[in-house]
Amino acid sequence: MSILRTEALEKTFNTAGAEAAVTAVRDVNLTVDSGEFVAVIGASGSGKSTLLHLLGGITRPTSGRVLLEGVDLATLDDDALAAVRRRRIGFVFQRYNLLPELSLLENVALPLVLDGVGHVRADAAALEALEAVGMAGRAGHRPDELSGGEQQRGAIARALVTRPAIVLADEPTGALDTVNSARVVELLQRLVAERRQTVILITHDPAVAAAAARVVRMCDGRIESDSTSGAAPR
Amino acid sequence: MRLRTLLVRQWRNRPGRAVAAAASVAVAVGAVVATWAAADASRAGYRRLTETIAGVPSIDITARDGGRFDATLVPRVVDLPGIRAAVPLFYRPTLLRVGESRLREVAVGVDAAALAAAGLLTLESGEPCREDDEVILDATLAKGLGVGVGDEVLFFARRRIARMRITGLATGDSLRWFAEGATVVVDIQALEAMSLSTAEVDRVRIALLADADRARVMAAVAERLPASLVADVPVGRASMADDVLHSANLGLDFVTALTLAMSWFIVGNAMLMNVAERRRGLSLVRLLGATGRQVRRFVVLEAAILGGVGSIVGAALGLAAAGPISAGISQALQTPPAGLAVEPWLVPFAIVMGVFLAVAAAWWPAREATSLDLLEGLAAAPTAAPPSASRNLLVAAAALTVVAAVSEALMYVGVWPPRASVVSGIALLLAFVSLTPFLLIPLVRLLGRLVPSRWQVEGRLAVDQIVRQPIRTALTAGVLVVAVSNGIGLGHAIRDSVEDVLAWYGKMLKADWVLTQAGALSVSREERGADSRRMERIVRELAGVADVEGIGVATGRVAGSVCVVIARDMPDDKPLPLEPVGATIDEVRQALARGEAVAGTVLAQRAGVKAGDEVVVEVSGRATPVKVAALVVDYTSGGASLQLRRDAARKIFGMEAADVLLVTAEPGRAAALREPLEAIAREHSMLLRSFGELRRYIDRIVTGVVGSLWSILGLGFVVGSLGVANTVTMNVLEKKRSLGLLRAVGMRRGQVVRMVVLESIMLGIAGGIIGLVAGLTTALFIQLASQPLLGHPLRFHVRPDIIAVNLLAAVVVTALAAWLPARRAVRLDLLESISAE
Ligand SMILES: Nc1ncnc2c1ncn2[C@@H]1O[C@H](COP(=O)(O)OP(=O)(O)OP(=O)(O)O)[C@@H](O)[C@H]1O
Ligand SMILES: [Mg+2]
Repeated sequence: MSILRTEALEKTFNTAGAEAAVTAVRDVNLTVDSGEFVAVIGASGSGKSTLLHLLGGITRPTSGRVLLEGVDLATLDDDALAAVRRRRIGFVFQRYNLLPELSLLENVALPLVLDGVGHVRADAAALEALEAVGMAGRAGHRPDELSGGEQQRGAIARALVTRPAIVLADEPTGALDTVNSARVVELLQRLVAERRQTVILITHDPAVAAAAARVVRMCDGRIESDSTSGAAPR
Repeated sequence: MRLRTLLVRQWRNRPGRAVAAAASVAVAVGAVVATWAAADASRAGYRRLTETIAGVPSIDITARDGGRFDATLVPRVVDLPGIRAAVPLFYRPTLLRVGESRLREVAVGVDAAALAAAGLLTLESGEPCREDDEVILDATLAKGLGVGVGDEVLFFARRRIARMRITGLATGDSLRWFAEGATVVVDIQALEAMSLSTAEVDRVRIALLADADRARVMAAVAERLPASLVADVPVGRASMADDVLHSANLGLDFVTALTLAMSWFIVGNAMLMNVAERRRGLSLVRLLGATGRQVRRFVVLEAAILGGVGSIVGAALGLAAAGPISAGISQALQTPPAGLAVEPWLVPFAIVMGVFLAVAAAWWPAREATSLDLLEGLAAAPTAAPPSASRNLLVAAAALTVVAAVSEALMYVGVWPPRASVVSGIALLLAFVSLTPFLLIPLVRLLGRLVPSRWQVEGRLAVDQIVRQPIRTALTAGVLVVAVSNGIGLGHAIRDSVEDVLAWYGKMLKADWVLTQAGALSVSREERGADSRRMERIVRELAGVADVEGIGVATGRVAGSVCVVIARDMPDDKPLPLEPVGATIDEVRQALARGEAVAGTVLAQRAGVKAGDEVVVEVSGRATPVKVAALVVDYTSGGASLQLRRDAARKIFGMEAADVLLVTAEPGRAAALREPLEAIAREHSMLLRSFGELRRYIDRIVTGVVGSLWSILGLGFVVGSLGVANTVTMNVLEKKRSLGLLRAVGMRRGQVVRMVVLESIMLGIAGGIIGLVAGLTTALFIQLASQPLLGHPLRFHVRPDIIAVNLLAAVVVTALAAWLPARRAVRLDLLESISAE
């Protein structure tokens, strides 16, 4: 069963002042089934992050549709979209992941709090998620007291804490060493296996891509190749 | 953890931002409370000033054809609203003997006990006279005579010589209201009996309550009067003071309204910045699934808390500041301090206003932030306003300009009251503020070229910073525009109207001494005419007198409007003491020589008289057609005057007597003339005042009123400076991270500070220039507004000193407000400043 489907997805940025508009994503038709582990690779600037943002309803497409669990995101109003983001999707971004004012634990618990979960339960769930990424020991620290990789792991914990149907992660391992990178990938794979969650992850790391069952390569905003073999094409 | 915790954490993390936002509310609320209290103190002070100088506001009931009248003809009027008391007055020249001195004085008959009870007669010592053989003396006169309470004087009346006991000494100030130069107060029935006239009075003077509308009360009184009596405004200084105070009140309205507008703008600006700067954080919270409503509620909650705390602190500060300011105003007005009387609703109102403004100002950017595309929200602070916003601003500016122009026009033609100009002034100011974003960038680029080549790098970066953040910098400049425009506009308006009044007096009052006819108005015209001619001769022959000009004054009516008919010599060899409007001095002089008259601008407006009209003038029951040759500016009678040459006045109205003698001394002999002139004044029942005294009296009104306006304007200035400082500080605090990055790529500390200060100075100058244009336009509007009030256009002068002070203040305040936080920011550990978000 497909959990996520795009139809002729296109995104063009018209930046004021720039002469030419940038088409970051063009004619993307992608179908992702529930429980899939998809790696998105491609050169810098090829449109990977933009595609991920479109999938998560963070930005609206110029044309085309995104269907999440059969629902066209364009038909949802602001509140419904917020609820989808809160309950169905977990995000890990390339940048600006954590609120600097909050401790790591509070950051991780935030999606639950926003959903009205009581703070005892929210904190417990957050701690569990932090344990999963090996950051429970730093729960009380503020983001600026953590290294880039630690922050990234915190962000992953936050993406997992609501047990979303789909996790969208933009270079979650970009700042991690090989050992920790492998741990994160392993964690994500376990999610897919145990909870039948779907993971779409962007990476530049061939080792991480190799761990994915399906690899989508982007080039100039288009999907260049989409291989479901265990091994990523070179 | 709840959203509220996030709030508290954010404050703790960025205390500067939260404190600055709350401080802006405190400044605004404090400004409202203090300005309001100060304006109240000023209004009360103006009232007391009018009372002490011009007497209690009043209306006179007199016989239509002059002379005394039967007091029983006067109907009851005290039951009409706005009336404090009705006082029958009877004047009688008399001779007073104390020991060997004989004095010609004027006695006034009143019901002294009733007058004292009504607070209209103040005794320095003793008590009111009640019996036939009791008198009250002017305290100064008594001192001169060496007598006091309990002593006896001989009183020569028509019927008998009475030995009378002094029961009290009256202060000059309180006599001024009703005595018209009389120095002896006697019971009215006793005086009438001694004068062989019963139940006759010269006038009934009606004291009005302070807040009464004189015109309305006058109409109500006139309705009850028999045909033989008329109700009028007492002629003279009262109306002059009225006019100055009218325009002062208008000025007060302007200052208050603009200070309010400015404080609103400061709050709006701070809250807008406070929210706009956190777009990214708010977007991230939304990204994690917070609904737009949740985020907005969060922002509103924050605004309400910051606004509430700021409001309470501000109200306390405002109250604390209001005391000294009110005291200062009382001092400027030379009235006894009334103590701080703050309207009970003011503080709650100001606090509610502060919270409301904070919430409203936060709501808008919160809505913007939550309706944004999330990705855009996650990007850095907005780089440019959407084109729709620019369009809206232009439309707003155009609409506001139309509102300003229309309300000004309606007011100018008299459909709206002068106060309407406050609306147009504010609309105009807001129009300029809406235009600020469009004018700012070109201005800053221009200023960037002027940066000395030594600081070119910093200068270029500073221009970049401003251009990159058009919204934030436009907001900062907006506060500057409001503050500078406020200072320049009001400063100009105050100076212009004051100088207008003073210039006129300088022109009119060239004499050294002024002799005025005391209150014995009922002496027959012929008798007085002969007496006055004799006296003029005596004065002219005094050693040391260079020139004497006699001025006749009478009350008249033109087309139902009361006016003062003024007859002056106006000899050909002296400058004409008139300021014609729309005609040359020579034309006016020739017309006057032909026996034509000139009308004061206020009279012209009230009676609908134009230059060249022939009008019917009624004086002492006699109606005569007179040609009005031109209009002139005139303050002494509030502009409601008809002036003509004395020979013409004699022919047309039979005005013989000189009611006022202007005596000019030979150089250096003015002081020596005091004694002989005093003797003559006493002899002829006249009042002698030196030019200096009159000058002082006018000065006291003008400087007092101006002082109070300046102090409130000064308050506005402080508020503006605080607002600007606050905004600039916030602006710099928001840049901590980019400043750190600049240092990380190799910029020296000094360079960073210089760049920040340069940026602020450019903003200060650019905002100052826009504010300058706005301020001058505002000043023009205020002057147009005072035209119907003064009856003539004020000349508009550009005042380099006011402009310089305001622009300098703008630059110094912005530079300081940037320098302090910038210095702190660059002292931070580099790592710390870079990780700041
Ligand atoms: N908000 C924006 N406005 C204008 N252009 C944008 C915007 N966001 C992305 N782009 C452009 O769209 C293209 C795709 O950007 P995107 O961030 O999706 O690339 P990416 O594949 O994620 O690259 P990287 O691997 O470096 O993260 C780039 O050329 C980028 O410059
Ligand atoms: Mg990317």
